[in-house]
Amino acid sequence: MTHETVFHAILSLAIQGTLITFVYALAALGLAVVFGLIGVINMAHGAMITLGAYFTWACLSAGLPFGLAVLVAVAGVGLVGLIVEHALIRHFYDKPFETLLLTWGLFLILTELIKIAFGSDIRTIPTPLPSAIAFLGFHIPEYEALVALLSAALLGAIGLVFYKTSYGIKIRALTQNREVAGLLGLNVAATYKIVFVAGAMLAGLAGALMSPILSIDPTIGNIYLVRSFFVVIVGGIGQLLGGTLAGSFLIGGSQTIFGAFSSQVIAQTIVFALAIVVLRFRPTGVFKEK
Amino acid sequence: MSNTRPVPPMPRISLRSESAAAIVVFAVLALLPLMMGGYVIYVLPQYLIYGVLAMSLGMLWGYAGILSFGQAAFFALGAYAMGLAMKAGFGAGDGYLGLLAAIVVGAGLAFLVGYFLFSAGVRDIYFVLITLALSIMVQQIAISQSSLTGGFNGMYIPRMDLALGPLGRVSLAHDRAIYYLVLPVTVAIYAGLRRLTRSDFGKVLVGIRENEGRTLSLGFDTSWYKTIAFTISGAVACFAGALYGAHAEFVSPSLASVAFSTEVVIWVAIGGRQSLLGALLGGLGVAALSNYLDGLSPVFWQLILGGIFVAVIIAFKGGIAGALGRLVARKDDAHG
Amino acid sequence: MSEKLNSANGVNRRSVLLGSLGAASALGAPAVIRSAYAAAPIKVGVISPLTGAWTVYGKAHSEGFKLAVDEINAAGGVLGRKFEIIMADSKTEPRIVAEQANRLIREEGVDFLAGTFSSAERNAAGPVVTAGNKVLLYPTFYEGQQQKYFPGVCNPNIFMFGPVPSQQVWPHLPYMMKNHGKKFFMVGSDYVWPRVTNAVTKKRLVELGGEVVDEIYIPFNTPQYDSVLSKIRNSGANVIFLSLTGSDTINFRKQFVSAGMKKDFTLWTVDDEEVVTSALGPEASAGTYVSFDYFMSIKQANNDAFLKKFRAKFGQNALMDTVGVAMYNAGHMAAMAIAKTGKVSTDGLRQGLAGLTFDKAPQGSVTMRAIDNQAILPSYLMRVRDHWTGTGDMFEQVQYFPDVTPATASCAHLPLN
Repeated sequence: MTHETVFHAILSLAIQGTLITFVYALAALGLAVVFGLIGVINMAHGAMITLGAYFTWACLSAGLPFGLAVLVAVAGVGLVGLIVEHALIRHFYDKPFETLLLTWGLFLILTELIKIAFGSDIRTIPTPLPSAIAFLGFHIPEYEALVALLSAALLGAIGLVFYKTSYGIKIRALTQNREVAGLLGLNVAATYKIVFVAGAMLAGLAGALMSPILSIDPTIGNIYLVRSFFVVIVGGIGQLLGGTLAGSFLIGGSQTIFGAFSSQVIAQTIVFALAIVVLRFRPTGVFKEK
Repeated sequence: MSNTRPVPPMPRISLRSESAAAIVVFAVLALLPLMMGGYVIYVLPQYLIYGVLAMSLGMLWGYAGILSFGQAAFFALGAYAMGLAMKAGFGAGDGYLGLLAAIVVGAGLAFLVGYFLFSAGVRDIYFVLITLALSIMVQQIAISQSSLTGGFNGMYIPRMDLALGPLGRVSLAHDRAIYYLVLPVTVAIYAGLRRLTRSDFGKVLVGIRENEGRTLSLGFDTSWYKTIAFTISGAVACFAGALYGAHAEFVSPSLASVAFSTEVVIWVAIGGRQSLLGALLGGLGVAALSNYLDGLSPVFWQLILGGIFVAVIIAFKGGIAGALGRLVARKDDAHG
Repeated sequence: MSEKLNSANGVNRRSVLLGSLGAASALGAPAVIRSAYAAAPIKVGVISPLTGAWTVYGKAHSEGFKLAVDEINAAGGVLGRKFEIIMADSKTEPRIVAEQANRLIREEGVDFLAGTFSSAERNAAGPVVTAGNKVLLYPTFYEGQQQKYFPGVCNPNIFMFGPVPSQQVWPHLPYMMKNHGKKFFMVGSDYVWPRVTNAVTKKRLVELGGEVVDEIYIPFNTPQYDSVLSKIRNSGANVIFLSLTGSDTINFRKQFVSAGMKKDFTLWTVDDEEVVTSALGPEASAGTYVSFDYFMSIKQANNDAFLKKFRAKFGQNALMDTVGVAMYNAGHMAAMAIAKTGKVSTDGLRQGLAGLTFDKAPQGSVTMRAIDNQAILPSYLMRVRDHWTGTGDMFEQVQYFPDVTPATASCAHLPLN
């Protein structure tokens, strides 16, 4: 290989890695918000992604345009999140282990309800942008690039909320110390509710935005579930922005890189093993502060 | 787990009534093949093996407070160990070699993973997620290493003979023969785990579950205790897998799936995580019910199972065994 | 062709005749007819993936067999006995297959079994049908028989009604190479069927002067295909030879379209039948080549008659595919085999099926090869039509070969029976 082709290959990997990093970040963001801010591992996250995809499909079938379908799907999954939080989750916030099991039970129930409501036939949604941008000899899928951009914008927006607005700073205080947050005049119960619903809406958004590039079946969200967990945990609790990005890169981007040199199975196994090793040596994530 | 909750007093009466219940259950199971034959006698050993798998998690989760979503990975490894041993062609000792290899592999892997993680303070939900990943990795490797494992298509495992030295060999091809092998093994594992949980070691595990910091400050090397508990659990799950392989005569990668691992968690939660008999009967009962009810209404059965699971987590932390235990204790209080 | 039994009427007449021979000595003729219709049914255990990952294929799978049984019973059954189906759900799990196959044999006392979906499921049933000495009729396209997977294959009790790679791929290689190029890029799921299919294909491709530029195997449940698509884009390949399965094939193809690559490459899939192609929709699927032994779109009198009955029973929009049709053929051929030998037994079925031809099969004519229990089948190469509207016009026939003989199974002992 000449220097030029090597350079080209590296750049091409970088582009793929970046795309996949932002797609994984989008899939993991809802989990990161809920886990990072209120300490709930939402095992139903995958089912919520699935639900987002199905709601989008249902809206499109009813004749809504894609953009509107996405908004309805986000609201729909948010509503499901609200019901679940109000009926169950809010009673267990001080017991992370119980919430893990509860949300996992919810995952089972939601998956079965999806099967009953939508059947088990595979559904698909036509890709809104079925072409690629040619750029310096690279081809970047338009729709995926759009999803990655939205994901980046979302990360930025969440950063603004948490670091620049007073409400965001109070919510972050909540993660540190609940009594202090109460003294700051924060309605703790309401804030927990808002965060959980926001997490559900983000899961719904991920499902809605990814629905055009995926097969929509009752378990489709699960393939992102374990990857999302690793993104969040490797990134570190509470490290919403940097953590989610670093985690996504480690899980998605590095798999792309390993996949270039070895078989896909080995790449996947290496990435999981790597995630476990990172956890072992940095139990609070790669951006350990203390 | 919450650190503020006091250690629940384990009433002596419940231990005694569990022993009584266990004796009744095992006696019924021992007599069953004399009264009936056919499919029930074929399939019961399989459910008993599921029960052993459930106990491997019950011990870990109920006593040490460590939840594993990776029990199926060990179970599948055990079945593969049995399959490879039967292929190795050591003659009369094949089956024993398989069982032994399963124990060694299960204990070895669990020890390595456990030591690696517990010694660094990885715990609770982090550990759960790693065991989840472990399941996925074992499954992927089993699929891709097809020259060894048969890959996705699976591996045939000829049923082992029971070589009894000078007494000759007993073929396990007959339903009753393998039934009367699996049942005493199940009883032995139950008794062994029971003893373990009531020993000083078991008390330390309960201490860790309730308050790891306090147990550590009392001078116990908690990460070591957790590693040993996980090792034992892995060995039991893997051994159960080897027995399963011998019984089903087949193993494929889906045996290591997360779906099966999580099924084990359901068995134990419903049966009762703080009672080994509860876990055993949870595995046996839920698997048997699934077999029969699934045929009637598959979708709704899964939905109901999910609902029961959520109800158990919310309201009946002890599962069925816990609820029964409380009932017995209350009755005894009233009479005593 | 004494082995050909074509009409349901023929079966019926013969069975009544055999029934009367047996009973005539003891009873009067009117009683014979009564006893013939009151006779205990022939029980068939059908194992389908009704829940779990492959639920979506389970419908056609079980409906194919149900339709065959309806037709057999409407014609009076076999030997005066009707077929009765006992359904079992595999949950797409091999361990459940072992449990259910045992239940069907031991508790339900079925006379033989049909079904199981994946090779893993069939292999799980292998030891059970061997121990219980029952016949299993297996419908799915698969990798062919290799002794190392005995008793799931190379088993005298198991009959294969679906195509193997040498039938599904070989006949169409010359056409694809001539019209679309000699450089193939192979993408498959990482398990036995795609790997064997690709190996078998590669062997013939190289013999014909073609070339495999790269081969990639994808683990199950992979959501993103950016790196694979980029490799394909830079490979200089003409044809993408696809053996991905399940949701992965859809995810890949959605992203292939979304990456704007559809116009630059010819896609040939050996997995994506009616169910997958319907799910993809016309835009994403148009122009793709698919090869199988059966398509709903094939224009044949047999298929027209078959689809008419199928749609009448299961609805106008019901999907049928190669696997469901194999189940349909399995049902009819079992009935013919029983009628031929006059025995409802494992031996009777085995003898009856060996060399049996069913020329009312929806895809043409199907013959069960005696030496290795492998069906001789037609092979179709189809192209997905632009702007198709339903299964009727989904595929356009490119070429067709009747009676494609499969490569001989690599079993330790042939013939199997």
